[in-house]
Amino acid sequence: MNAVQRHHLRIAWWMILPCTVGLLCFRLFPILASFLISFSDWNIIGIPKFVGLDNYVEALTSPLGVKVLLNTVQYAAVYVPLATILGFSLALLVDTGIRGVVFFRTLYFLPFITATVAVAISWKWMFATRFGILNAFLSWLHLSDPIAWLSNPNVALFSVTVVMVWKDTGFYMVLFLAGLQTIDRTLIEAAKLDGANRFAIVKDIILPQLAPMTFFVVLIAMINSAKTFEATISLTNGGPNNASTTLGYAIYQNAFVHFDMGLASAQSWVLCLVVGGISLLHYRLQQRKS
Amino acid sequence: MKKLLKICAALSLSSAILVGQVFAQSESVLKYMVWSDSELERERPMIAAFEAANPGVKVESSAMPPKDYWPRLSALAAAGDLPDVFWMSSGFIQSWQADGQIDNIGDKVAGINEADWYGGAISVARLAGGVYSFPKNWVAPVLYYNTQMFDEAGLEYPNSNWRYDDFLKAAKALTKDTNNDGTPDQYGYWVYGRYAHIEPWVFRNGGNLLNKDRTKLAPDAAAMEALQFVTDLANVHGVAPKPELMDGIRQQDVFPMGMAAMWVDGSWNIDGVRKTAGPDFSFGIAQVPMGPSVNKNNAVGYAWSDMMAVAPTTKQRDLSWKFIEHMTGSGNKVENFGGGKVPAYRPIAESDAWLERDKFPKNKEVILEIGLGQTTTSFTPNWSKWRGYAASAGGGMNGELDKVLNGRKSLQDAVDSFVEYGNSVLSSN
Repeated sequence: MNAVQRHHLRIAWWMILPCTVGLLCFRLFPILASFLISFSDWNIIGIPKFVGLDNYVEALTSPLGVKVLLNTVQYAAVYVPLATILGFSLALLVDTGIRGVVFFRTLYFLPFITATVAVAISWKWMFATRFGILNAFLSWLHLSDPIAWLSNPNVALFSVTVVMVWKDTGFYMVLFLAGLQTIDRTLIEAAKLDGANRFAIVKDIILPQLAPMTFFVVLIAMINSAKTFEATISLTNGGPNNASTTLGYAIYQNAFVHFDMGLASAQSWVLCLVVGGISLLHYRLQQRKS
Repeated sequence: MKKLLKICAALSLSSAILVGQVFAQSESVLKYMVWSDSELERERPMIAAFEAANPGVKVESSAMPPKDYWPRLSALAAAGDLPDVFWMSSGFIQSWQADGQIDNIGDKVAGINEADWYGGAISVARLAGGVYSFPKNWVAPVLYYNTQMFDEAGLEYPNSNWRYDDFLKAAKALTKDTNNDGTPDQYGYWVYGRYAHIEPWVFRNGGNLLNKDRTKLAPDAAAMEALQFVTDLANVHGVAPKPELMDGIRQQDVFPMGMAAMWVDGSWNIDGVRKTAGPDFSFGIAQVPMGPSVNKNNAVGYAWSDMMAVAPTTKQRDLSWKFIEHMTGSGNKVENFGGGKVPAYRPIAESDAWLERDKFPKNKEVILEIGLGQTTTSFTPNWSKWRGYAASAGGGMNGELDKVLNGRKSLQDAVDSFVEYGNSVLSSN
């Protein structure tokens, strides 16, 4: 390395220094600190007390901890397939050259770029038991007594899930749309000439060709489902009786409402391991497939 | 020449820094932090008056909403950088005192004439043999009633001698299904599992949710009697809607929107009722009815205060106390206490200006009666966790009682659940 190269290298180091320092101070250090805090009983204003694995035991075995984990799984079990299938279906619908399709693409994408809190408040009005439009519609059809969409423990989590599926589907649609653009159109034309119907084309050509994108969408949807927070705080506050409290929301509650930083950190690491595990599984599966 | 210029420049710079430091040293900066932007704006003239009366003192104030205030204040405490004076709530004072993050100002409080302040408001801050904050105002849940609905039903207005039975009789008469669709259009009462909706009934029946030293949840017979009465209002008597029926309506809007004739909540809601329903909405207030287990002498009111605390790290302890005395006492103005927030300083609270005879409710002295009587609270360290409050209102005791009020769980099962959970929270304190 000559003097000029060394000089350029020095400049490069100086250029990335602020970003690196920021990354170390505001990302890496808090991550490492949270790992240490997860073994302590700490309310921010007091002195941390070492409690070993107590916080992990509470997060994984206490009745509330188990409920939160089950809610998170239940949320993901509905959100991921629903958002993926709807995103894919919408992508197929708007992947045409007909007039006005750009309008519909924009329309379906709009909820995604709308603030979650605004979306949640609008849905909250629609979900209102006595005066909400959903129950008014059901009543008009004589289908059901008013449903407490946000207060019935059997329905509340599903309601939150539906709102987030409605909001995020447009994003997954765009991802699938990008995948569809990469498919060789001659394959589809050839299949049509061979007499394949629309269903067969989707099943035998589009879906296999979209496999990498589908993997990606499922992964992103799973990660998003584990992080859900804004819709929960705006719609249900985690209620009724924690029926809609998922891991992301429980971390917020424990950290910034109850100031139980130890438990919140332990739950964060559980969440990190879950998301990391899913990502690893996804990576392995994709490697095996390729 | 160049050298001379450099020396001149260096000298000028040094002088400027020196002058700046001298000015900075001659000005004492008192840091002050609160949880309400609007209240800080109202306090600005008082702060200015304090600065004018204390030349060389500058009050550096900041405000943020409660959900940001506590995390921020906690972070400052952890960093050893607390503001000199900050607001303290009755729900957090126990934890902050236990962790040594608020100063014992007992010596300063000993120097005031306590008779000028409401004793109950100060007693919230008496912990571990000291006084760890000083009240600026206090609040108490009261029974709100819609006078027009009472007049239409030909009923006498509630008064502070009312018993549970008197209340139930009125609530039944005020519950009306005018279109005969099976769902009342007007309920006699509105309640859900919120602390300000439930605890007043417990205390006014002489009950306790906690054991004597507040280390365990142990609802006694009088508390159970009160809980049974309140939950029966929705489940047995049908005079209150199931809380889930009111989804989509802010809880504080049910009464001013005329959907319920009575409501128990904090006195601070007087301001909200006026704003939501307008100045012509006629309503009154009374003390929460007494249960069958008490007589007038041993019924206990529920009241708590908002306070000002001094940081243990402050280097201006005397000045901090002087500021608190000014802000809470005679330096305060009645305009700073909208509606049902009661000034802790009695001469202001008991003035005609605070009583607001020209506005509804026209009997605000009811709140003062509560403050002069025996009062209590159920606050403990980690209260919000076991009680279910703010962003965790969906859980804890609140969540369990909502299940009962919605007819999904028996009261005994709900009590067993929240006692077990609450005690697991309290045992970790």
